[in-house]
Amino acid sequence: MNRKTVTIVGAGALGSHLVLLAREWEAELRVIDFDRVEAKNIRAQFHTRLGSGKNKARAIQAAMKSLFGMKLAAFSARLVDSNAEELLGGSDLVVDCTDNIAVRQVVQGFCRSGDIPCLHGCLSAGGDFARIIWTEHFVPDREEAEGQATCEDGRNLPFHGLAGALLAWVAQRFLEDGVRQSFQVTAGAVVRLA
Amino acid sequence: MRDYQPDARLNVTSGGQNGDYPDPVSFDATDGDVKQIATEAVRTGYIPGIDADPRADFRDFVVDRFPARGDLPNRLILRPKTPFGAP
Repeated sequence: MNRKTVTIVGAGALGSHLVLLAREWEAELRVIDFDRVEAKNIRAQFHTRLGSGKNKARAIQAAMKSLFGMKLAAFSARLVDSNAEELLGGSDLVVDCTDNIAVRQVVQGFCRSGDIPCLHGCLSAGGDFARIIWTEHFVPDREEAEGQATCEDGRNLPFHGLAGALLAWVAQRFLEDGVRQSFQVTAGAVVRLA
Repeated sequence: MRDYQPDARLNVTSGGQNGDYPDPVSFDATDGDVKQIATEAVRTGYIPGIDADPRADFRDFVVDRFPARGDLPNRLILRPKTPFGAP
């Protein structure tokens, strides 16, 4: 695999597990997240008590370095149109693991305008259904209600791991062979979409 | 003479389970028609892989349409909304 630059936007349920599973990639990894690690995140995401209270991107940067000796670039920033070039520019692949439609639209708009390959990882509010989908097939969904409650108690941690693993596998296939496949996943079924 | 309406495979996700509706559905079916078909099917346990659920309700779900490509047929995908990546 030629060394490429992969930017992961969002280090939450999907993004944190993606980082964990990307540690053998021959790639420069960038992680962007403006949020901080809260106690509830430790139950449902790949974050630890050592990162509690820290910025999520910097927390996972520290965790990956201490656990695996892996280096990655961390950006504590909220992605908006005005900083998209700075944060996403030069990427060979952008993986969107965010949780709001505004950021997804920024990611998708920038990647489409710059012809940058972009993969979206998305979870349902119930935390038991996910989509791993390339941007050419992706239309962002709105929350059913602003600030909608999501499953944060760790009950769906195994499913987050399952979806994160599929996300990592799809991204790795693209990095290795240029293959773009999209899927949806429940606990009992993986369905290829495109 | 009716216009030709290509068939599609209808895939349904409900209650964390997933399955294909056993019969072909018109690829041009409206979102409302697709949700109605799925509602009746899930309530009666007609979709293999999805347990019968008399309270099945897909009004807030999304219908995606994927045209046939390679080995994949026309597909109608009825699914929950997925606004999150980091709950």
